[in-house]
Amino acid sequence: MLNHVDTKYFGGLDYDEASVIQFANGLPGFDTEKRFLLMDEPSRRPLVFLQSLSRPELCFLTLPAQAIDSVYALRITDEELQILRNGGQGSTPGGPDVLCLAIVTVGENQAMTANLLAPVVVDLANRRGVQAVRDDLVYSCRQPLECSRETVPCL
Amino acid sequence: MLVIQRRAGESIFIGDDVEIEILETGPTRVKLGIVAPARVLVHRKAAGLIEMQNLAASRPVSFEAVDAVLAKVRGPHSRKSRPPFNKSQMDPMSSL
Repeated sequence: MLNHVDTKYFGGLDYDEASVIQFANGLPGFDTEKRFLLMDEPSRRPLVFLQSLSRPELCFLTLPAQAIDSVYALRITDEELQILRNGGQGSTPGGPDVLCLAIVTVGENQAMTANLLAPVVVDLANRRGVQAVRDDLVYSCRQPLECSRETVPCL
Repeated sequence: MLVIQRRAGESIFIGDDVEIEILETGPTRVKLGIVAPARVLVHRKAAGLIEMQNLAASRPVSFEAVDAVLAKVRGPHSRKSRPPFNKSQMDPMSSL
């Protein structure tokens, strides 16, 4: 049974309920947005589109944190991990089933930055997500996007 | 606003069950330990910052700007032209 959603970049789309990512707490500033789809388009990898299921015009542009900084290591608090696991078991952060996505902002002057301070963390195994705020000061929420000299990892 | 001075190792209480201990002080940063019941949400100031950043990121981005982001990440050798946005090429990541 497929559901239908209007998306910001890709028009109308049928999706399987099993592909929905649940954000129990929403995202900061978007507390009521709890259901998203993750979409990638082969010719635009490593971009990942985070599309809201209730607001067609709301689609965050994201990049895997390691596509921006090849040595990026996720830091996640116990509270955030609990949200991700929803009281049950979950995949290990840093493992292959856990995506760490930085939301990209394109400013009015076309300046491009990525939020490496608070990446969106998604457990693909249990289809849950949380925006995890780092408690160190290593990265900015407006990290300028630079050309990566490393090979860009594809999803 | 109540202003008090504390040294590292000292605490303040807010109500009966919220304790804030000064763990460490440095020239530019203070490390705080917070003990509070689970029902109390402890917010970093960063929460407001993330909220603002998410709102900024949610503003409409043109297709051209999306591809400009891609070019930036992939570097100067990436393909200049990409097919237009097309749902037939797009696959929700359900299989991952």
